[in-house]
Order: sequence, then structure tokens, then C-alpha cells
Amino acid sequence: MNTPTTPTDDLPSGSGPDRPPDTAADRSPAGGSTITEATEPGDGERQTPEQVALGRRQRFAESFRQFRSDHLMGFLFGIVILLLLLVAIAAPIIATHDPSAIPRPPQKLAPPSTDHFFGTDQLGRDIFSRVVYGARTSLIVATATVIISTILGTLLGAVSGYLGGWVDLVIQRIVDAVLSIPVLILALFIASLLGASITNVVLALSIIYIPRFSRIARGEMLRIRSAEYVTAAEALGAKPSRIIFKHGVPNLVAPIIVLASLTFGQAIVAEAALSFLGVGAPITEPSWGRMLSTSREFMTVAWWSVVFPGAALSLGVLAFNLFGDALRDHLDPKLVR
Amino acid sequence: MTTVAEQPDAGPTGGTVDGPVLEVEHLTKHFPIRTGLLQRTVGHVRAVDDVSFHIDRGETLALVGESGCGKTTTGRVVLRLIDPTSGTVRFDGQDLAEVDADELRGLRQRMQIIFQDPYSSLDPRMSTADIVGEGLAIHGMASGQAQLDRVTDLLEKVGLSARDLRKFPHQFSGGQRQRIGVARALATNPELIICDEAVSALDVSVQAQVLNLLKDLQTELGISYLFITHDLNVVRYIADRVAVMYLGQIVELAETEQLFTDPRHPYTRSLLSSVPIIDPELARATVRTPLEGDVPSPSSPPSGCRFHNRCPQAVERCRHYAPVLVDLNDGRQARECPEYRPEPFGLTAQSYRESELLNQGTEAGE
Amino acid sequence: MIEYVVRRILSGLIVLFLLSTFLFFVMRAVPGDVVRLQLADAGSVTDERMAEMEAELGLDRPALAQYASWLGGVVRGDLGDSLWERRPVTEMIIERFPVTFELAFLSIVVAVGLGIVTGVASAIRRGTVTDDGLRVASVLGLSVPNFFLALLMITSASVWFNWVAPLSYRRPWDDLGVNLQQMAMPAIALGVSVAAAIARLTRSSMLEVLGSDYIRTVRAKGASSRLVNYKHALRNSLIPILTLIGLQFGALLGGTVILESIFGLPGVGSMIFRAVEQRDYPVIQAGAILYGTIFVAVNIAVDITYGLIDPRIRRS
Repeated sequence: MNTPTTPTDDLPSGSGPDRPPDTAADRSPAGGSTITEATEPGDGERQTPEQVALGRRQRFAESFRQFRSDHLMGFLFGIVILLLLLVAIAAPIIATHDPSAIPRPPQKLAPPSTDHFFGTDQLGRDIFSRVVYGARTSLIVATATVIISTILGTLLGAVSGYLGGWVDLVIQRIVDAVLSIPVLILALFIASLLGASITNVVLALSIIYIPRFSRIARGEMLRIRSAEYVTAAEALGAKPSRIIFKHGVPNLVAPIIVLASLTFGQAIVAEAALSFLGVGAPITEPSWGRMLSTSREFMTVAWWSVVFPGAALSLGVLAFNLFGDALRDHLDPKLVR
Repeated sequence: MTTVAEQPDAGPTGGTVDGPVLEVEHLTKHFPIRTGLLQRTVGHVRAVDDVSFHIDRGETLALVGESGCGKTTTGRVVLRLIDPTSGTVRFDGQDLAEVDADELRGLRQRMQIIFQDPYSSLDPRMSTADIVGEGLAIHGMASGQAQLDRVTDLLEKVGLSARDLRKFPHQFSGGQRQRIGVARALATNPELIICDEAVSALDVSVQAQVLNLLKDLQTELGISYLFITHDLNVVRYIADRVAVMYLGQIVELAETEQLFTDPRHPYTRSLLSSVPIIDPELARATVRTPLEGDVPSPSSPPSGCRFHNRCPQAVERCRHYAPVLVDLNDGRQARECPEYRPEPFGLTAQSYRESELLNQGTEAGE
Repeated sequence: MIEYVVRRILSGLIVLFLLSTFLFFVMRAVPGDVVRLQLADAGSVTDERMAEMEAELGLDRPALAQYASWLGGVVRGDLGDSLWERRPVTEMIIERFPVTFELAFLSIVVAVGLGIVTGVASAIRRGTVTDDGLRVASVLGLSVPNFFLALLMITSASVWFNWVAPLSYRRPWDDLGVNLQQMAMPAIALGVSVAAAIARLTRSSMLEVLGSDYIRTVRAKGASSRLVNYKHALRNSLIPILTLIGLQFGALLGGTVILESIFGLPGVGSMIFRAVEQRDYPVIQAGAILYGTIFVAVNIAVDITYGLIDPRIRRS
């Protein structure tokens, strides 16, 4: 399988997210107040919780503007991702034909035309519509996988990192075991054992991706646990759950977001690879991987039956990779590429 | 069992009706040193070794010593942020070893800590409002608008304002951050605050501001401080009494003025003589006995008196007899030393004076 | 250092043990059994025949007993017999492993060669059109899945050059020319994504090293810029590249499954793929252990190599 980038070795970690993104305040200690002048309350004025929450939103907006201007490429591919999502959601509207319908008489392997933008496959089905519906399969699998593995992996890592002891030891050995098997091999085992279905692919990929999130989250949590602000919270009487969720998670979320966005691309490839091998999406669902697999016999006579699904697949992966890279640079400007 | 801590008249404000806010008896903390394939324990770092003291209400006790002497660990163990190996800590008469985890969290409302590093002690992802209000939220003391008002009051008390509520730690200077740390510690109306090198990281001018703030708050709110520091100028300025620590043990505990004008233990004298003296006449009159060598490793402290290998007054006997902390007649406690207590060492005043000094004219150490 | 290596190997063994145990029981717990599949293949599925065959294959015994005898065999180096081919899995692996090894080796050669050259060129010509072009190429290389790349290569070779690799597989020692023709495309397809990752990393770590104080010192002492680029900068960029190769090796091994099946190569990857479809438990387990062992071993080797390149790491 094609692993677009290495997920574990070059994420922003350590002091990354802790470093003040705005060093201007450090240079002029008293001048930190110039950032949000417009809505700045005067001295002695009381504030409501809503007003304070506004500060958080402003901080996010600030960060977003920064991202857009520093990483235009990543930002544009972020838009590509949104477009892909839109295509997936609006597939029935965008598709010109029924993706599974075999017209009579079938126009087998017809080249691209105004009726069939991407031509037809060996059964005469419209490739454009199948590619559009394939986006749906691909993004459903990738989204579900990323959501499940991000949440569970982060929780597992944060808890095991904070609690330590034998819980941590057991979890880490399991994580090592899963990480020591090549992704595609393991996915192949799990998916084929479970049978070909969308749910099973999601399940298999989640099992595979949870450990990498948990490893990152654990490492970050170990760093956070020894930070004085956690000791301070403990001294204030905070329970472990509060420390994990209020202090741990917000401080480890940056590398996790980056990993999630890179994993998104990898999940798309993995789903395609499994479908290519026939253990991924069921035969009834249009899937880029399966389209590549079934049309490879005809590729010398009908290049479009391979090129379009493959290009769609590559574009999806490319968008997530570039967006993820930009996000990483944004969240950790120390790593200049 | 007679212990040091049970003699409350030792302090200047001793004899309060309620008894001391904090009593520490025979507190010991050993950290295991693990190594090798199986992580066997090959020894212990004796960070805190049989430490006893008490703090009265509204009093400031300073804990001084070189870095690595165990003063920070003492502070953490007192708050039960680390579990002690042995010994007891009583807060307001309540033994902290006997309360369960929930009760302990409840007690944390009443004892707080201010940290050395104003950069790492504030959660970078939290706004000032959340940082200072965290204790209030945890103990359900206030929420919503009431919490925010209380936080605003606290910020004003430490010299910040409502306009700082929505800012994040990185938008403040070091001194401002330390004020936020102070406000956080004050939020739950604690009776005891442990100041762990609370001003060491700050510029001298800012130091003075924060120290004055702490002093004012003490007068106003009657808070007790355990002031952990290596800076003797700070100690002299803020403390009522001072405990001097060396290699996990207290070597001398006395009222501040007494300690600074008439230090008894050789280590205390060495420590004091390392402070720059500004008055030139006094400087000339002072005999300097600066410390030589490094602090020995607390995992294998020297036999006998732990200070013997660096002590300018040490004699052969000091290598063998482990001195204990005793009451001297003037209300202070100090670890025995043949200089003023020759008998336990099997010496007399006469024979001590005639003994050969261990570290005479050579580099410290063996 | 020795203690560290021993500890790494021990933890690697624990990991492999956990993994094989897990696979053993999971495979027996999930539906779809090998006996039914084989009989269906042969044409008749009766309860009688099934029981007979289960006894023949030793699958009627309790799972724990099967596990114990399997584990005992593994310790002695016997990975069991294939339930379909009825011969030792070890024998099958010995037969097929050279194919997979050659593919993986050639891909690494492609990846390292292409990756380092591209990365160095990109770093030295930083900010030029060459740099931009190479960076775009490496991002593309990272994003185009290797099986799609393989299909594109086959298609274009056949459409534009009317060239198709010889169909029946030949071993390199039988006919090196034919063998290399067959291996070239899968090795390139597999190596390109790793090459792209290496190129990116080489570029960034070269730039970092080139900007550091000691390189400026070397320059100030009058060393030629070619010497600086290759001897000093590149050598110090090698550590992260090595780590990357270690990490990417897993992806590479996984990739062999899909590429062997596209190019019809009789390697371990295609053996595992078929075993998974056929529920041939001993083969699947052996495959998992083999790939796990290789992956763990490569990473330990990478760690040890670190110590040789950078003496600072040896101590910790």
C-alpha cells in the first residue's frame, strides 16, 4: 500500500503548541492588549462569560487568517477537500446516470463523450457517475475511520499516559503489536475475516489506526503530565478526568489534528487497496479501488476506465496530504520545509 | 513522643488558640533508583529525610537551601502532591494520610501552591478567566457570572484588571503571569500557601512587587506561607522563621533575625556568607567561609554528619557520629555540632579545639 | 548499548507473541471455515465429510490444545502445514521469500537512490524552478497510490511502446534479463512513494544542516561547496532518513501484497493474500510472524545504526 507520509515521526510535538504563537506580547510585556482593541473593555468594567468566550473565538479567527495567508496552497486544498465532501453528499444530484444501471443495449467501454463524461466501463455503466458515488464510499469510510480512531486513540493514549502503571504497560504492548504489522497486511487479515462490507472496512481500519493516535496522545500526555500547570490543577483538587479533558486534551490536540488529516488520506488509500483486493467495499457499492481492479483487464483498450477513478483517488489523497502538511507547519512553525 | 512541631512557642506568633495550621513530623521521601533490564531498585534518593516543622496561622516559614537539598520535594509532599515514604503531615490538625482521595481534594481548597516558573505553571490553552476560576469551578464555589466577578476581584487584587480575563498566558510578561499564579492560589481562600521559589524567576524589581503583594495579602487575609527559596535576601525580607535544609535534613531552624545575626550551624554560616554584603564596613568585619565543592549526591549522603566533607570546622569524629536536631537554649533548633555540643561526638570543648580540622587548607571532599 | 539491543529484541519478541496469539484465536472465532471452503471447492459438502476432514487436519481438537501444539512447533521452527497445499509452510516461504525480498530490495534501492538525489538537488537549488518542480513531483509521488501507478505504467508501456513484461516468472539466477524486466515496474511503483518521502525529508534536513553554525564554520575554513554539500551536510541528514526508511518499510512490505498480485509474482505477499481468502490459518499466521519479524528487525537495525552514526545516542 501507499503510505503517503510517515505519521509518527514529524508531527509537532513537545513544546510546539505551548510556544506562544504571538511573540509580540513577549517583546513588549505591557502591550499584549493591542490585539483586540475594537471590542476591548475598559478598565474596571465587568465582563460576562459570553464576552470572555468571545476571546477564544477571536483567537481561533486570528489563527485561521494566519493559516490562510501563510499556507495558501494548504488552504486551497482545504477547499478541494470541502468540494469532495460536497460531491459525496450531493452525489445523487451531481451524477448524470444511475451508477449501477446497465443500459440496454449496453454501450460497453465507450470513450468519454458529452453523454458519458468519463466514458463507460466493461458493463456499459457510466464511469463519471460511478466516480461521483465512489467519492461517497471513500469519504464515508475515511471519515468514519478517522473519527473513530481519533477519538478512541486519543482517549486511550491520554488516559494511559496520565495514569501510567500496568494499564499503560498493557496498552502500550498491544499498540506495539498492532504497529509492528504492515498496515495493508493487517487490514487484509481483519477485513477478510470480517467479510466485505463498509462497516467492516471501517472497523478494520479503525483497529489499525487507533494505536498511532494513542501513541502520539500518550507521548504528549506524558509531557503534559509533568508540566507544572498540571501539578497546579492537582493542587487545586482537580480529578483525573478533569486533568485529562480540561488540560490534557486541549494541549495535545494540535499534533492529533495533523495526524488525523494525514490519516484521512491514508484511510482513503487503504479503503481503495482493500476494495482493489476484493475485501473492501461490497461489490454493490461503487468504489474507486474496485473500479481500478475490475477495469485493469481492459485498461489497454479503455484507458478512461482506469485513469478517472485513479485520478479521483489520487486527488483525494493529495488534498489531504497537502492540507495536513500545511496544518502541521501552521501549528508548529519550527518545522520549515 | 516529643517533637519539634509540638512546641508552638518557638515562633513569634506562637500560642494561637487554634494551634498551628501545618504540622510536619518526621517527614521522609525516598525516590527509588531503578536500572537495568528488570528495572530493579538499586538504591534510593533520600530527597527528604526526617523533616519536622510547623507553621502558625498568619506566619511565614522559609525553607532555604542549595538546589537539590529537598526543599521543593518537601513542599510537594506537604501538599500530598507526592506521597511521603513515612512521617505525618497535619493540616489544621487533620492527618493527611488518613483522608481519602475525595476528602483530600476537598482540603486542597484550603492549601495552595505558587510555582517557580510562571511560564510552565499556566495552562497555555486556558484564558486567564479559566485559569484563575479553575479552583472555584472544581470546588463548586461559584459559576457563571458570579465566578467571573470573583475572578475579576482577584485579578484586581493582584494588580491586573477585567481586560485581562480573556487573554491567554502568552500575552503576559513573566511578572504578570506570576500575578495570575498568585490570583489562582488565592481564589479558593486558602489558609496556607506554599510558595515554591515563587519569585526566583522574576527580575529584582518585579520580585519586590510580588513579595509586597504576598505580604499585603497576608496582613489582609491572615494566610500562612511556606516560602521555599534559595534566595536569602528574599528570606530576610519575608520570613518570620527560617528552616535551613541540607541534603534532605533541616540543619537549623530559628527566627529570621536570630538566624541572620547569629547563625550557629556551620552550614548556615557558610550559606549566609555567600550572600553579597552591601555595607562595606560590615563586609570587612565578616569572616567569609564560603562553601566549596558540590552538594554530595542525596542517593549516598556522607556518613556521620552529612556536611562533614564540606564543613570548614569538621573533625574526624564528624565522619562517624550522625548528629540529631536539638533545641538550643535560645529557642532555636540546630543539628548537633562539636562546636557547640561536643559531648555527643565523644569530645569536650577542649579536645575539639585541639582536634585536627578535616578540610583544612585542602579542597573540600575526600 | 548491548543491554538496549537485548531489551529491544525482547520487547519485539513479546510483541510478536501477542500478535500471533491474537491472530490464532481471532481466526478461529470468526465465521467462514476452511473445511467448508475446501469441500465446496471439491464439490460436495456433507456433515460426515466435514467431520472427517476436521479430524484429518486436527481442527477437531480444542482451540487451546491446537494453540499449544502450534506454539510448540513455532519454538522449534516448525510453522505448521498449509491446510490446502498439505505441505510445510516453512517450505512454501523458503520458496517464495526470495521473490518478495528481491522486490522489497529493488524498491528500497529505487527509493533511496531517487529520493536522496532529488532531495539533495532540491536543497542545493532551493527556491529555484528545479526545486519547485521536484517538490511538486514528490508531493504527487506521495499521493498517487502505488497500485494506480502500477496500472498507469503497464497501460502506457503497452499503449505507447507496445511493451509487455514477459508473463511467466523467471528467477534472477535462471534468467536475469527476464527477471529484471518483470521486476522493474513493480519495484518502481513500490519505491516511488518511499522515494518521495525520502526526498522531502532529505531536502528539509539538508536545509537545516546547511544553515547550522558548524557548516558555516566549515565553509569559512575554505572547504569547497561541493564537499560541504555531500560530506558534511548529507551525512548529518542521514539519521532522520534512516528512521524514515525503517518506518516506511512496513508500508513497503504491505505493498508487496498488492503489487505481487497485479504483476503475477509468486512471492510471499500473494501467498498471504490467497491464504486469507482460503482461511489457510497456518499460512496466515506464518505470514504475520514473518512480516512482523522483518518489520521489528528492520527497526531494531535502524536503531543500532543510529548509534553507529551518532555517538550521542549510544548512551541513552
